[in-house]
Amino acid sequence: MSKHTGAPVGVGVPLLDARERVTGAIPFVGNMRVPGMLVGRVLRSPLAHARIRSLDASAARAIPGVVAVVTAADLGKESGPMLQYGRNVKDQEVVASRMVHYVGEPVALVSAETEEAAEAALAAIAVDYEELPAVYDAQEAALPDAPKVHEGMDSNVFVHAKLRHGDVEAGFAAADAIVEETYTSPVAQQTSLEPHVAIAQWTPDGTALTVWTASQAPFAVRTALAGVFRIKEPSVRVVVPPIGGGYGGKGGMRVELPAAVLAWFSGGRPVRVLLSRAEEFVTVTKHAASITIRTGIMRDGTLTARQITCHWGTGAVVENSAALVRGALVRLVGPYRIGAVHVDSYGVYTNLPSAGAYRGAMSSQATWAYESHTDALARAIGMAPVALRRRSLIRSGDTFATGETLHEVYFHECMEACLERLGWDEPLAQPGGSLRRGRGVAVMMKSTNPVSRSECRLELGADGVLTIFTGTVEMGQGTHTALAQVAAGELGLPLERVRVQGPDTALVPFDTATNASRSVGMMGTALLNAAAALRERLAEAAAPLLDLPPDQLSVADGAVASAGGRSLTYAEVLAGGGLSRLDATGEHATNVGLDPQTGQGVGSPHWHQGAGACEVEVDTETGKVRVLRYVGASFAGRVINPDLARLQNDGNVIYGMGPALLEEMVFDAGRVMNPNLSDYQIPSLKDTPDWLEGVCIEHEEGEFHGIGEMTLPPVAPAIANAIEDAIGVRVRALPISAERVLRELDA
Amino acid sequence: MKIALTVNGTAHTLEAAPDARLLDVLREYLGLGGPREGCGIGACGACTVLLDGAPVSSCLVLMGQAEGHTITTVEGLAKPKGALSAVQQAFIDHRAFQCSYCTPGFVLAATALLEANPAPSDDDITEALTGNLCRCGSYRNIVEAVASLRRQG
Repeated sequence: MSKHTGAPVGVGVPLLDARERVTGAIPFVGNMRVPGMLVGRVLRSPLAHARIRSLDASAARAIPGVVAVVTAADLGKESGPMLQYGRNVKDQEVVASRMVHYVGEPVALVSAETEEAAEAALAAIAVDYEELPAVYDAQEAALPDAPKVHEGMDSNVFVHAKLRHGDVEAGFAAADAIVEETYTSPVAQQTSLEPHVAIAQWTPDGTALTVWTASQAPFAVRTALAGVFRIKEPSVRVVVPPIGGGYGGKGGMRVELPAAVLAWFSGGRPVRVLLSRAEEFVTVTKHAASITIRTGIMRDGTLTARQITCHWGTGAVVENSAALVRGALVRLVGPYRIGAVHVDSYGVYTNLPSAGAYRGAMSSQATWAYESHTDALARAIGMAPVALRRRSLIRSGDTFATGETLHEVYFHECMEACLERLGWDEPLAQPGGSLRRGRGVAVMMKSTNPVSRSECRLELGADGVLTIFTGTVEMGQGTHTALAQVAAGELGLPLERVRVQGPDTALVPFDTATNASRSVGMMGTALLNAAAALRERLAEAAAPLLDLPPDQLSVADGAVASAGGRSLTYAEVLAGGGLSRLDATGEHATNVGLDPQTGQGVGSPHWHQGAGACEVEVDTETGKVRVLRYVGASFAGRVINPDLARLQNDGNVIYGMGPALLEEMVFDAGRVMNPNLSDYQIPSLKDTPDWLEGVCIEHEEGEFHGIGEMTLPPVAPAIANAIEDAIGVRVRALPISAERVLRELDA
Repeated sequence: MKIALTVNGTAHTLEAAPDARLLDVLREYLGLGGPREGCGIGACGACTVLLDGAPVSSCLVLMGQAEGHTITTVEGLAKPKGALSAVQQAFIDHRAFQCSYCTPGFVLAATALLEANPAPSDDDITEALTGNLCRCGSYRNIVEAVASLRRQG
């Protein structure tokens, strides 16, 4: 059975639903109207840590138009929702029963006929709090005498992941120089323009739940909801239409739970929970990180030892952070040949909102530290930063700090592509006056999920139309279009004959989640396997019609053919066999991991690789930094759609400029002081570089490789390295605000 | 109170409070999904509509202010299944969106720009569109799309 050649893989086509996207017709959850739909709202804690002395919701229940008011007293009964839940750790309550642990924690839920009635009900719920000591900084929270975020805990450290590779003390003893620095990243927010939104509805008998939600993880949401309601997973149906951006922030169960709980208490009526922008900031955030990195280096650039200690501020809710903090072990090290490496990665509770993945999860904070540090190391031995990287970046066949041998390594190619496009060796014109220009580069290495699974089902209809059933969420990254291109190529069909059925857990097979830039690699491979199986099914179905055994038939270009030149279209094969459809399923799973005590093993089924180089201009009078030119490069394996790949690279860089230069959630006593898009600024058109380029490093026989994050983590350190090149000061705290630059200049 | 206004060429008289937000009326009463709330304070441009041809944040326009005016949302640029507007087509041709939550706002802001200034410079384009945020970072393609419609000479 031959494979089709001349596939549309490698061709830049628009998103399949481009027309819907430019006409506003795309069916975002926020645009759905389910008959009888109620407004769902959440009453939130105004305090970072407090005991609830009393809660009285009787007045709220009496307000006309209010359908349900849910407090902790209503939960944890024989049937219906449990009170406590949690993904990695059961540290959450649907609504707080006795204690609140962060500003924004749900305290009561309301469903009502109108926004006004819901608003009035929230205002009518009387809660009396007794304020308790709180802790906001992860390093302070990790100290033995810090206030405990949750009752009964000995320590706020909920996970301490370790990596131990080689003898670091011997390495430091052998070094010519040792550099130790601390780099910090603040709490930030994913800020998808589409807020979190979910609609939930129970069947009248209360046995089955349907949730429409803007989620990156429909199957994880299904599992979590089934757990809270103590029902079987197939009784929960999660439907995810295209979503308006995710960036990691929609990777766990968030608004689906209050919607489902309210719907449970609302007599079979559907309930929508749609977060306000301010609520977004207390619902999911980026981990604050403080990373101390100490490296020994020889005069020739040999790195002898590295010791890394990282405290991840996780907020009062772990959600998926135990997995993220463990996963961060390998993201903290950096893509370098280092004699010995020790890493301690601490996940720490604080009295702040819950942290989760933020595009470039954990790698952004880590790369900020280790790539700024690479320049500091180079300076310590008087070597050019690029020369040190050329000497010490990992190459194929090298052993990583996990003990695994790395293959398909393209760090050098990524960096060199950036340097060449930027014109690294060209003279740099200085504009004069208070303006100084400089150049910087950074390289990054990121793991994807060590354990994950994707299934894909293909269905060929009697009309010759192929439908892909996939759990991959379309959030603008274009994976549905990319999958359709792959399927069209594998079955030899025009793209117009391929449809995509996106996530609906009642219709599509399992997928772990749309995260960690895993989809084209994992779902793409599952699709290849499904396509191979479908070609076999086609050959089997055609065999009796062509009087030949299946293995003497080729399946390509939309037809099954014999060597003798007889050929049947797919539609003819189905018609001849009296078949209404043919289908086939493919799967791709990975299962690697590290020893929990030593961090040795296999850190990732494959490694994401990226680099960035830039030219910045710093105004020494104002401290203002402008990124004039930026080029990012990532290893892409084989590019499916170059137009969408360019958008992903651009998006990475522009998104990355937010945490690099602008984004920081500011807190006062645990309360967010800037929970709006005026005081919390994300990059606008005017913040983007004057010149921006993206490069995909391809490999002819390469696998499909996600590129949704790779050029993001290098942005902040590349800019900081360029700033040091320009004005000789080193910024070690994000964001690199004008104020910080000025302060460093004055120091 | 009864408030009269024209939306996408159709005259409406709606029962609405004068302090109701135009955005909510367009979405909830008229069922238009193009204008979208991103920030609620006029900082992101996702709710951009044209009011007598000029781009405004519909989250900041109250019904009392909209009374008697002509509103165009992205739904008013092309008939269902009909030809797309030049700006919409350019956005597709230049792949000027990813998640597209912001796209109707950009399309309308660009439409107003090209109406007022058929030959905008790159700086004009940047200035006109900088009030619209695209978190996916499709800015380069957006500028290219709008620049492609620049009238020559």
